[in-house]
Amino acid sequence: MSEISAAHDVHDPANQPGTTTYLIIAAFLLVLTAMEVTVFYVHALRPVLVPVLIVLSGAKFALVAMFYMHLKYDGWLLSGVFAFPLFIATILLLSLIGLFGYLAHHGAPNPELNAPRNASLSWKSLASTPAYRSASPR
Amino acid sequence: MAAQPKPLPVHQPSYLEGGGVLGWLTTIDHKRVAVMYAVTALVFMALGGLEAMAIRAQLWSPDTHVLSAATYNAFFTMHGTTMIFLVVMPLLLGFMGNFLIPLQIGARDVAFPRLNALSFWMALIAGILLHLGWIRGGLPDAGWFGYANLTERYFSPGLALDWWVVGLLVSGTSTVLTGLNFFTTIIAMRAPGMTYMRMPMFIWSLLVTSILILIAFPPLTIGLIFLLFDRFFDTHFYIVSAGATPILWQHLFWLFGHPEVYIMALPAFGIISEVVPTHSRKPLFGYPMMAYSIVLIAFLSYGVWGHHMFATGMGPVADSAFAITSMLIAIPTGVKIFSWIGTIWGGSLRMTTAFYFALGMILEFTIGGLSGVMHASAPVDLQQTDSYFVVAHFHYVLFGGSMFAILSGFYYWWPKITGTMLSEKLGKWQFWLTIIGFNATFFPMHYLGMWGMPRRIYTYGADMGWTHLNQFETVGAFILGLGFLLMYINIFRSLAVGEKAPNDPWDGRSLEWSIPSPPPAYNFATIPQVRGRDAWWIIKYGRAGSRGVAAYMAAQASPSDQSFDAARIHMPAPSIFPLVMSLAIGLMGLGLIIDWYRIIVIGAVATILSIIGMSFEYPGFGEESHDPEHAPSAGGIDVRKIGVWSFIGSECVFFASLISTFIVYKSRSIGGPGPEILNIPLTSLSTFILLMSSLLMVLALAAAQRGDQRWEKIWLAGTISFGLIFLGGQVYEFTSFYNEGMGLTTNLFSQSFFVLVGFHGAHVAIGVLWLSVLLGAAMLGKLGKSRALSLELAGLYWHFVDVVWIVIFTLVYLMQTVKGA
Repeated sequence: MSEISAAHDVHDPANQPGTTTYLIIAAFLLVLTAMEVTVFYVHALRPVLVPVLIVLSGAKFALVAMFYMHLKYDGWLLSGVFAFPLFIATILLLSLIGLFGYLAHHGAPNPELNAPRNASLSWKSLASTPAYRSASPR
Repeated sequence: MAAQPKPLPVHQPSYLEGGGVLGWLTTIDHKRVAVMYAVTALVFMALGGLEAMAIRAQLWSPDTHVLSAATYNAFFTMHGTTMIFLVVMPLLLGFMGNFLIPLQIGARDVAFPRLNALSFWMALIAGILLHLGWIRGGLPDAGWFGYANLTERYFSPGLALDWWVVGLLVSGTSTVLTGLNFFTTIIAMRAPGMTYMRMPMFIWSLLVTSILILIAFPPLTIGLIFLLFDRFFDTHFYIVSAGATPILWQHLFWLFGHPEVYIMALPAFGIISEVVPTHSRKPLFGYPMMAYSIVLIAFLSYGVWGHHMFATGMGPVADSAFAITSMLIAIPTGVKIFSWIGTIWGGSLRMTTAFYFALGMILEFTIGGLSGVMHASAPVDLQQTDSYFVVAHFHYVLFGGSMFAILSGFYYWWPKITGTMLSEKLGKWQFWLTIIGFNATFFPMHYLGMWGMPRRIYTYGADMGWTHLNQFETVGAFILGLGFLLMYINIFRSLAVGEKAPNDPWDGRSLEWSIPSPPPAYNFATIPQVRGRDAWWIIKYGRAGSRGVAAYMAAQASPSDQSFDAARIHMPAPSIFPLVMSLAIGLMGLGLIIDWYRIIVIGAVATILSIIGMSFEYPGFGEESHDPEHAPSAGGIDVRKIGVWSFIGSECVFFASLISTFIVYKSRSIGGPGPEILNIPLTSLSTFILLMSSLLMVLALAAAQRGDQRWEKIWLAGTISFGLIFLGGQVYEFTSFYNEGMGLTTNLFSQSFFVLVGFHGAHVAIGVLWLSVLLGAAMLGKLGKSRALSLELAGLYWHFVDVVWIVIFTLVYLMQTVKGA
């Protein structure tokens, strides 16, 4: 192995969290998970279930990404390579939920836009052509 | 022609020489891979072109029967699929991207050469799978967009759509691997001094395109996986009677489909941005704005997919949002047009065929862009949807834009690639036939569309008044075909008797023109030092003047020095595994389609063996030795780490697509068990196990980094054990659901749950396999301190699987009482 390779393969210990940090993060993860499950079972918290769970799971996500995946210690480049697709993924998730959920129920399309257009002009004429009549169905 | 390098006294063997057939089959040289992409794409281009001409022959006059209705459907489907996935993308990325990225950034190869070869072979296998319908089962006939639920087995029985689904899945995987490779290469392997703002614009365009690929393809993959499950495993992701909505396919498809337009357009912009300055003998006008506008186009391209779906009734709010973003994207696109015109303005123009096609591209793409802005308006779009106006628009963008740029780049870089010149006379004939044929074919379609001629009809009535323009278009299409015939003739003529090309025939500006034509296998004898934008131009005419050329050529001419030994330049060794693995993947696809499970097993075993073989093949497990001159330039981050992170980024979108579908379908599910069936205590325990496996993983890595092999093995074995326990819990959970009456196909909830959680489980299983291989290496004493990165890479993947589960546990399990979308 060349010196260059070795130099890049070995991490600078000063740039990495230690075992103690890893254990503390694990404890946090454990506590946060316990809180999540507790929130699920406490009926009184049902009205705030969604925001509370999102905050708790977001905290777990961030802890693993920052400490176990070392994003806190690596350069901005890797954070960007992860954060940008994550941002797009979040937008995708919210967009699809929004498009199928809220807008489907609250933003009914203008019925005039959905009215048949030129139906009598094009499609009837097409359907009457011999070629169309003779075409076998799929 | 200025500043030609002095002839080298010693012959430098080009990348084309030696190796024989086996050499090409096992090559991982980016230049040879590029040539194989080109040959494959040119064959498919001929096929797709013939299909287009058959379509035009059918539309020559009313009520004709050159093609049957079914064959017509198959031909327009295959024409679109072929041209997009097997011609334009392979030519722009596989051919030009592959050949030029290392040459323009001053590198010796791409970051992952074997992955590059794997991408090519998989692309070839995908092309073959897509065309096997000629032999058995018929050709796909549901359009290149494959709208659900036309693609369901009920409406499209037989094998035709099966070839399409499996072929596109393989093709998509190949493209994502290419995107990952290009992204990493451009980020980490640029020559010293080549900052982002000194990169050639073609490299800028490919960098952004790579990001687009990584993020845009996962929704298509998910859409295809749902379709595959519907067709092969009787789920009903797109079947209305089960409560599903076919509109889901449209969203997933166009989430991919519109960025895909820019995946085909941005590299074309990059090509024009290389050809125009060289032929104007001026630097690119407004370079920073050009770079920023490429980035902005890419960003906005994720927010415009809905303009393909105005007719589906998304509602006024969504329509307005998509209309605004679609209009916005015209602004950075317009910047490019002005930038090219500004570059040409006042330039000392050299009117070669390449420049002709570049000018043609600017003209035709502008027309396509203007008709595109019309589609951004929802009311106007509703009048144009599914009419020939749309066919005109996207051909002006994809042919007038992408294909004209490809032809421009083809004439521009051919001398570098082959070492021979193309005939300028034939080239200009081709240009005039192409531009006349192109406009004759597609411009009248604007009128036909506005007159009401729908697309995808295989004939029309004589009383519609469309006959004359259709005949005009058909003549145009055959003129266009003649133009391409001249190109093929020009290629063969050039290879047979073409004039030998000098190293820098156009007085170029970027580094590829500084090395021999065709280049040697190692590209650069000495990795160049970049001192500014237009690196080669600066060497030729910059501050150092002719002394710069002399010094540079002295370095590059070192092969004449008796002490120079090309063998000392570390180049990756050839490998048969990319080919074998691609064949194995193809076998699995084939076996699935023709329902021959033994073939699937053989393919799966061969795939796994290929992966293992590749892992231990080069140049010795964990001993990838970078050339010292190839030191990564991305802040000292190893290319493999960037590669794994970009893969993880792509996976974010993959899982987001799956999770979105689960949330959308949860409340649409009809009958059967619902979210209440989920076992929270068991899953909480599984979650705890998986989280703790991440702890063990980092402890294993920390042990490896301090050289403590004993604890490294213990923690690694612990991680694997916890992963297996998690998988065991999942198997138990799935089995108990099955016993309670919830199978894969029971309802929308069950199928979206099993596919989402099952795919996560598959990722865990792959992680367990990966870590097991590393544990084996550790047991053999091959995973010491100096190879800790191998463990870190596997760890990154493992932690990612962990964070995905954090999201799934919350959104799927703990929010079970929350109504879906």
